[in-house]
Amino acid sequence: MTLVSVGDLAQSFVLRNRSAALKQDLQTLSGEVVTGIAADQALHLSGDFVPVAALEASLAQLASYKSTTAEMGLFATAMQNAIASIDASASDLGQSLLSAPTSTSATRLDATGFDAQQRFEQAVSTLNTRFGDRSLFAGMATNGPALVGAGAMLTALDAEIAGALTAQDMVTAISAWFDAPTGFAASYLGAGALAPLQVAPGETAQIDVTALDPALVQTLKGLAIGAMLNRGALAGDLLGRSQLARAAAESLISSQTDRALLAARLGTTEAHIGAADVRNQAETTSLSIARLDLLSLDPYETVSKLEERQSQLELLYAITSRMSRLSLVNYL
Amino acid sequence: MTISGGLSSALSGLTAASKAAEVVSNNIANATTEGYGRRVMRTSARVVGSVGQGVKITGVDRLSNPIALRDRRLADATVAERGGRAAFLQRVERGLGTPDQPSSLSGRIASFDSALVEASSRPESEARLSKVMETAKGILLVLNTASRDIQSARATADDQITTQVSFLNSTLEKIAAANQQIRENFGSGRNTNGLMDERQQLIDSIAAIIPLREAERENGQLALYANDGTVILDAKAGVFGFVPVGIVTPGMTLGSGALSGLTLDGRAVRTTGDRSPITGGSLAGQFAVRDDLSVAAQDKLDAVARDLAERFQDAGIDATRAPGAPGLFTDGGAAFGAADEVGFSQRISLNAAVDPSRGGALWRLRDGLGAASPGFSGDATLLTALQGALTVPRTPVSGGFMAGERSFATLGADLLSGISSARLQADGDMSFAQGHADTMRQIELQDGVDTDQEMQSLLMIEQAYSANAKVVQTISNLIDLLLGM
Repeated sequence: MTLVSVGDLAQSFVLRNRSAALKQDLQTLSGEVVTGIAADQALHLSGDFVPVAALEASLAQLASYKSTTAEMGLFATAMQNAIASIDASASDLGQSLLSAPTSTSATRLDATGFDAQQRFEQAVSTLNTRFGDRSLFAGMATNGPALVGAGAMLTALDAEIAGALTAQDMVTAISAWFDAPTGFAASYLGAGALAPLQVAPGETAQIDVTALDPALVQTLKGLAIGAMLNRGALAGDLLGRSQLARAAAESLISSQTDRALLAARLGTTEAHIGAADVRNQAETTSLSIARLDLLSLDPYETVSKLEERQSQLELLYAITSRMSRLSLVNYL
Repeated sequence: MTISGGLSSALSGLTAASKAAEVVSNNIANATTEGYGRRVMRTSARVVGSVGQGVKITGVDRLSNPIALRDRRLADATVAERGGRAAFLQRVERGLGTPDQPSSLSGRIASFDSALVEASSRPESEARLSKVMETAKGILLVLNTASRDIQSARATADDQITTQVSFLNSTLEKIAAANQQIRENFGSGRNTNGLMDERQQLIDSIAAIIPLREAERENGQLALYANDGTVILDAKAGVFGFVPVGIVTPGMTLGSGALSGLTLDGRAVRTTGDRSPITGGSLAGQFAVRDDLSVAAQDKLDAVARDLAERFQDAGIDATRAPGAPGLFTDGGAAFGAADEVGFSQRISLNAAVDPSRGGALWRLRDGLGAASPGFSGDATLLTALQGALTVPRTPVSGGFMAGERSFATLGADLLSGISSARLQADGDMSFAQGHADTMRQIELQDGVDTDQEMQSLLMIEQAYSANAKVVQTISNLIDLLLGM
């Protein structure tokens, strides 16, 4: 007997299966509509995560370069400000020292000498400046001051010039102290220059200025010579004192170019950091877009799929209820 | 036709109709019972001498479609096998995470990279050095957890095999008992259909564990064969043997003898390949997870851990480190040696010298693992070198990765891609097998009870009953007529 019959369970099995599949699709699609990103990323990317991972890694790196460039930029600016203030102070003193001897007035020289010592102390303290609890001119030894105190240096210089009788001798002695490894270099408490840092992928920048930079040493030397006027050097010898003032002025004025060059060098580094930052930002934007391109779904497609599944499910419900009512039993 | 002959025929018709109604009602009652084979009553004309004498019930047949049944069982077994594989790969994939999640392997590698760059910008900052340490630990956390996950999946597979084998053995015994009972009932001529339903349900319950083929024997007996022809049950039930181990570690394999294989009646049988009796069922799926997939995944994970340790163990990076001393990442405190690669991802740990909670100091990240005292607070040389070591293109030496230099982040992504591709493949296989199994089940279910058809039969039975009753009434009238004369 081969009557065509279809078992009751077959029908309910198909309906159940379809409704389960549709509900699962609906759940996946509604999640995708909300997040905009494929629920199964592996499927969306055909199992190849390398491009996405590379983008994510680059984005994370760029974010960290952002903080590096910001901090380096701030440090460079702070150093630039410090150098500018030392330069202004030194050049200013240079002018007034130059005009002081012409007056041949002891009082004027005394006042200028006092001013010079003040400015020396100020310059030393500027070089010892901490920015964000980080010493600016001490190289790698960022946790301590760059130089010993101005007082200690001046005391050391006092001893150096003790035997000198002429202004020329004094200048020679002071110069020698600034150049000797046991002299000024021993007053430097810092370490070697900071290491170069990555500021962009494959690109480094270095702030290599320390208190041992020749331009700064030269400036301190000029200020120190001037300061000697205030420490009783050649007391009573008005001519000698005015010669000393002139020597200080010359030293300060001649080192002006070096200071300008130093500022320019630092400025170049700043510009380099700034340019790297701008490039990094541009790259971040384009990589973010690329990342979205890789991971995101077309919202119109997702929504239309969602609607399609919804109407299929509604249809299935309608069919289920019709089919369950279709039984011979109801007509007997 | 004699009158009494007519009466007898009508009575046989009434009996047949009642019996048919019973069969139909039984069918309807079992319309939703899975594994129920629809019953059909067979009748033939009763002949006494050369004269027809009504109807004879020759039997109640249990309809089943052995081909549809076998196909459905094989499809179910395939689904169970593929499902086991896919579930394992999904678990490993989830453990590694996708690159957009910060807690994924890729995400944590990126964090470590960033932390190194940020720390090199301010090497004196404790917070930044501490972030370097935390993010390094983050990478280790993923590696350790993923490895433990893999091993616990192996242990679970081992447990599953134990459970399935014992279920298999007890069910095979029940099937043998059902066979025995059917033989006895057959001998005494009793109906065996109910027992057959039960036996089919029993076979169904183990069909997903190993793919089975049925062979009919005389007296309603069934023999069961595996796909490769091995006899699983014939008169006597086969007994599978398996020894569970409890805890599984990376070094334990089937090959090393640390993990148990499978035996049938005391003889060892293969657990993979075409010549294995269990190929294509959930049992084979669990063996594949335990002995094949997990070992491959662990190998790759160990290779990644090794690459990480060796990058930071390079002699050129840290001058303060004594030759042969452990690098930033250690093998449980000691330097990593190539001979100890198996299970390394589970043991890889951060050098205690940089971890304040284990007596180390953060400044060693900046000044060197072997440094006796802190160096210059602004020295970023080592931190930059560490960042370089993480990103420098390097060829992984093990794990079967494609040759070619790559950064550690790319290697991590390669690991994930490998697992994900395998998972997608397994998912694809699985949904194909599922679709096939659904179709097979639908075909099988179509042969089941159709209530409409049963109701139609019932209508015919009703008509036949009343017709036969009418005949009895008529004959009774005839007899009354005779007696009243």
